[in-house]
Amino acid sequence: MSHLERMQSIQAMLAAGHRCVELERHSLLLWGLVGGGLCACTDLVINSDTFPDPTQRAVAILVWLAAWLGGMSWLDHHLTHKARANRAETMPFAQAQVTRAWWMLLALGTLATFAMFFHGGGIMIYALWTVLLGLGIFVFGLFSRPLIEWIGLATILLGATGLAAGLAFDTARWLAASTFAIGLPAAGWLAARSDEHRPVQRALYVVAWLTVVIAPVFASARYAATAAAPGPDTVTLKVPAGRVVPLYLDLDSPLLAISAGDAMPMRLIRDAELTLTNGQPDGRYRFGDGSWHSTKEGVLALRIDRIRVEVTAGKPEVRMHSNFVVQGERP
Amino acid sequence: MSMLPALDPLLHQPVRTQIAAYLAGRGEASFAELKRALAATDGNLDAHLSKLVEAGYLESRKEALTGGRPQTVFSLSAKGRQAFLDYVAALSKLLPGKPLAEAPLHAAIAPQ
Repeated sequence: MSHLERMQSIQAMLAAGHRCVELERHSLLLWGLVGGGLCACTDLVINSDTFPDPTQRAVAILVWLAAWLGGMSWLDHHLTHKARANRAETMPFAQAQVTRAWWMLLALGTLATFAMFFHGGGIMIYALWTVLLGLGIFVFGLFSRPLIEWIGLATILLGATGLAAGLAFDTARWLAASTFAIGLPAAGWLAARSDEHRPVQRALYVVAWLTVVIAPVFASARYAATAAAPGPDTVTLKVPAGRVVPLYLDLDSPLLAISAGDAMPMRLIRDAELTLTNGQPDGRYRFGDGSWHSTKEGVLALRIDRIRVEVTAGKPEVRMHSNFVVQGERP
Repeated sequence: MSMLPALDPLLHQPVRTQIAAYLAGRGEASFAELKRALAATDGNLDAHLSKLVEAGYLESRKEALTGGRPQTVFSLSAKGRQAFLDYVAALSKLLPGKPLAEAPLHAAIAPQ
């Protein structure tokens, strides 16, 4: 062995010593299933029907997430120690520290979810969870295989890009669920087959990973749009652009009250079409000749970004600036 | 005439160099982990570990892992860490052309 080969061997073994964190198969499956399940089911279990009071709903979410994530953290920790012991391996210092960082990210996500009930921003909750998951994967990857590091970065970008692109709430939810449930096991599977010394192969694996994670989400979004489209016998109501539509605002406030029956006259800017069941809208709509949506997708969002009090002719007025937006389209 | 640096004969053996490098990066490792990382046989690894322990380069202790049998866990001693750093420095000077950067290697070695 030449001196150069010996030095390269030293560097390789030093790197192997540093990158000694193992992403255990049970960890990837547990976190994948629980994270994916929570993204998919939380809104079905805890919603305005089951908990009408927002504070109760916030506390219910806090308890629900803390119980699942805390329980899974304990189980994962226990199983990881057991797996290491069965292989006669010690727990590396780096793995213990990275696991603590992962717990902190989970706690941060749980508290942010809770806080959004009081301070707003709920529209980006699933993007936030996707980014937090990406951070967790990235930190594990720093002390594990380089492919895991790259997948962590890809996950962070996925969450941030989805938010910037204005993905519908429901699409962002399924993207987060897919990143957990499909992405984590797929990352482990690919990492076990990757060659650390071939960056091109690593890049191809990341592209494959992104495809596997994203494809089902967009396939299901396309299916949802098809399912929302009315059949030939469905009654629809076409509302042309320019029509004045009254907006009734149900305002909870210790300061201001709205008189019963007061409405703000709003003028529709684009043609809209609603499907009717028994003479009432059933939650499906479209703008112009665009694709059909369901109100459950969370495509519509109201954002109030400015509140100003003015005095006009000696009388106080409250002026608000808000955006009633269609996700994915610029206002 | 330039004086060539002397290489530590104990560390100037591929398996022992690798053991020292792996432990420098990881901090500590059990016999099973070293065996897997180095792809060495039990007998070969045991012989090299014994030499490093006898020279005071490695420290060993028995640790009862959760649910498993007690394992011997190895780590570099202060003497072994210094010997490894000196070995890397000496080896760098023997490389033709521009020596490999020593600083990153030193920085990469886990502090005790």
